[in-house]
Amino acid sequence: MNSARLPGMRSLKLALGAVRERTGATSAELYVKVGNTRRIEIDPWMAAVTADPDGLQAQVSVLDERGWALRAGSASRAIFLADSGPLLEPNGWRRLNRHSLRPGTLRLPSPCSRTLPSPAADAGEHSAGDKETAGLAFLHDLLRRLGEQMPEARLVRGRLDSGASAAVLASTTGVTGRSARRLVTVELDFAASRDGRRGHCRLYRAASNLELLSADSIASEIAERLTLATASAPPFLPAGEVAVSPALGCTLLALLAPLLRGRDGWRRLRKLGAGRPLGPPQLQIVDDGGLDAGWMSAALDDEGVPTRAVALVRDGEPGEPLLSWEDDGWSGFAAAGCRRRSGWRALPELCHSHLYIAGASEPAESIRSGIVHGCYLLDRAHDGRCHATFEPSTNGGAGRVEEGRFEVDAIGLVIRRGAILGEAPRVRLTGSLRQLLQGIRAIGDDLRFLPAPGPVGAPTLLLTGLEVEAIG
Amino acid sequence: MRSNANGADPRPLLTSDVAAPADALGRLVGPGDQQLEAFFERLETVELLPLSAPNRVRLRREQGLGVRKTENGRSRLAAADTISGPAFAACCDRVAGTARSIGTVPPRIRTGSWPALRLAELEQAESRLNRAVNRRRVGFPMEITARRHRRQVQVIRSPIAAAPQFEEYFSLQVTTPWGVWGGLLPSLADEDLDPVALRLVDRLRSRGLPPHRRAPGVIVLGPNAAAVLLHEVVAHALEADTLGLSGVPDQVVGLKLGGPELDVVDDPRSAPLACKRSNDDEGTPVISRWLLRRGRVRQPLADLAWAERCPSMIPGAARRASRHRLPGPRTTHLELLPGTVPERELFAEAVGGLYLGEFDRGNLDPLDGRCVLRAPCGRRIGASGPADYTGPIEIRSRAVDLLAAVTAVADRPLAGGAGWCAKDGALMPVWARCPSIRLEGLQVAD
Repeated sequence: MNSARLPGMRSLKLALGAVRERTGATSAELYVKVGNTRRIEIDPWMAAVTADPDGLQAQVSVLDERGWALRAGSASRAIFLADSGPLLEPNGWRRLNRHSLRPGTLRLPSPCSRTLPSPAADAGEHSAGDKETAGLAFLHDLLRRLGEQMPEARLVRGRLDSGASAAVLASTTGVTGRSARRLVTVELDFAASRDGRRGHCRLYRAASNLELLSADSIASEIAERLTLATASAPPFLPAGEVAVSPALGCTLLALLAPLLRGRDGWRRLRKLGAGRPLGPPQLQIVDDGGLDAGWMSAALDDEGVPTRAVALVRDGEPGEPLLSWEDDGWSGFAAAGCRRRSGWRALPELCHSHLYIAGASEPAESIRSGIVHGCYLLDRAHDGRCHATFEPSTNGGAGRVEEGRFEVDAIGLVIRRGAILGEAPRVRLTGSLRQLLQGIRAIGDDLRFLPAPGPVGAPTLLLTGLEVEAIG
Repeated sequence: MRSNANGADPRPLLTSDVAAPADALGRLVGPGDQQLEAFFERLETVELLPLSAPNRVRLRREQGLGVRKTENGRSRLAAADTISGPAFAACCDRVAGTARSIGTVPPRIRTGSWPALRLAELEQAESRLNRAVNRRRVGFPMEITARRHRRQVQVIRSPIAAAPQFEEYFSLQVTTPWGVWGGLLPSLADEDLDPVALRLVDRLRSRGLPPHRRAPGVIVLGPNAAAVLLHEVVAHALEADTLGLSGVPDQVVGLKLGGPELDVVDDPRSAPLACKRSNDDEGTPVISRWLLRRGRVRQPLADLAWAERCPSMIPGAARRASRHRLPGPRTTHLELLPGTVPERELFAEAVGGLYLGEFDRGNLDPLDGRCVLRAPCGRRIGASGPADYTGPIEIRSRAVDLLAAVTAVADRPLAGGAGWCAKDGALMPVWARCPSIRLEGLQVAD
């Protein structure tokens, strides 16, 4: 079966005309998306990584997805309608009438004047057999390499998704847009037991194609995490410096995400500084929907508004807020394309595209080796705590974020003068959100993006003033 | 099956003769242990948001099919977002790995029309819930999002077509100044909204109270909370894929998990009226399955794949989140059979303890059996029953310790504890009917 094709812009405009005629709507927007995914799941029967790869039971799914969404409305009445399958023909909208619109509001963006590159119109598809063979070979290679490094590891669950999607939208305001995307994700769950201590690790990685994922480095990451998770707890944990890897840095940045979007986030971010810089001068936090080589990179967001890089924190000070077109001009700031749909069934929502802490010039290795007495935290403990707490308010407020705290359970190493003193199978890193940013002492040069689940990036960070406690 | 809220017979999903796709699947079956199955699905969600929300009415409809071939424990699934003969033929080609695998002419497959939209019941939910709250002599601002979910399923497992299934239920999300409550309801009638009002009022009265840190000696769980506990520590723990993570699933049969007062059954046929099932999502007839009989494991939850691996297991508990996902063993409607202790006595022997009406979160770690349950509020038990309100409380314990702590089961079961189960990211509605239970000697963490 060939992959589904997107309708042409003319079809969308004809459909929009039919909708307006049937419902009396003054404005309407149609969004159509097609996609295909090939999924390989390794049977979760705790297979030993040293087992014969051909003996592993692989479940293969080939999924075609196709759907559309309509937003239509007038001054005080509106409707959102989403359906699977191909877009209706112009005479297929007969089920809509003037009563279909219900009390509510609809606002749609206006077209931009910039000319933007138009990506390929359809969800391309490699040869199905090639994709499946490559995917299975990748998983088998990964298991073989992990088996060499850590034969006691056992696979709990493995899933590889490889897919492509394309979307087209048009509205009566004149906005049109096309986007196309390829994405490969791998979710792996492993367990191991050493000296009676059981440990568990979960890894989720993404890239725009399978060749960009390295089975060898993923196997090494898993072995490293399982080794730490099954280590005995250290007799003491030094308080002081904490270096966090890019993986844990991404987790911490994802916790801060509510502060870094929209008008409310901006107000909270300003309060967080309390008259002082938010962080060191080398701290830059950026959201960039059009990031080169980013796996969600697109010239337009899912409402057809152009994306751009937004410096949320610039030189340690609040830069500019991430605002959607509806808030364009608020406090003198310009909007950016930042409204995304999680699928054709969903309405666009304000969210980050590629949110990241820009890498600085300090080599990551020198940050780790420069720890006098502290910890190097590698990743979050998969089944531990990971949240930012916003103080509850009894008067109905959403919470005073400037008093917020975070709490993350992590695995790592105890370091003294650059040398590893011991392993820390589970530590709890806690502190205030303010201290998390203001306590950044060094930023490494090893920026890395990880799915959280959207792309979030961070380099190695050296943090101070946070509490570290051994648990479990 | 009379199974929608109006009492009207649901229209069938497929209006064409199901023999045509069944014959086509029959032609596809090769030698050996091959099994082929076609899954047709139609989903509708109507959402009514608060007045201030943009696009207040949101209607999502989708239909599609999936064809799955299983052979020696391996499976191939092909799914499409449309129901038609050509889409069915294309999916068959994909699982077979050849073109025109079912012949040159695809079978004729037609779908019926969608049921009527019926927005009125959603529009009335807000005023009904407000009235239910006001009957408790309180009033507070709330924003309500009401949703009606409908699902039609037709499974054809060559050469047999199972009976079509239809489910209809509702979900509510209520935002108050002190938090958000969400849950599933079989209907938006007053009798189903009244318990929601009770929980909202409980949260109002316990707002701002500090977390409960001291471990009480005795805890009484109301029917809703007991249902969540059993969902985590009995249903999830006895799903064949969970058991497979730590051993051979059928070896748990006969294992003692709790006291003789624990009789737990999973029976999709006795789910609330519009959610009853006669077949699971693989087309296998469902059974009344004793998960625990007098505290001992009798029959874990299994689908066809696990029943093939473990011959002592009975299939019939397969559920799939959508045509794009593979089925897995899951609970549908959990029942704790009533005990002999009158509810009044349950409380009388728990004075000084804590009453928990609901858990808003539950989680079982399938590898080490640790369970975390979080209650948004509680009440101290006085001489006349639940009295002063307390703040949130978190119970962390091993699943076996939680079941061993159950010392009494009340004699009056109630429907409740319905919610979304999100195991492995696959969201599915689950239902329950439980009496209150008493636990003693549990560890409580803040």
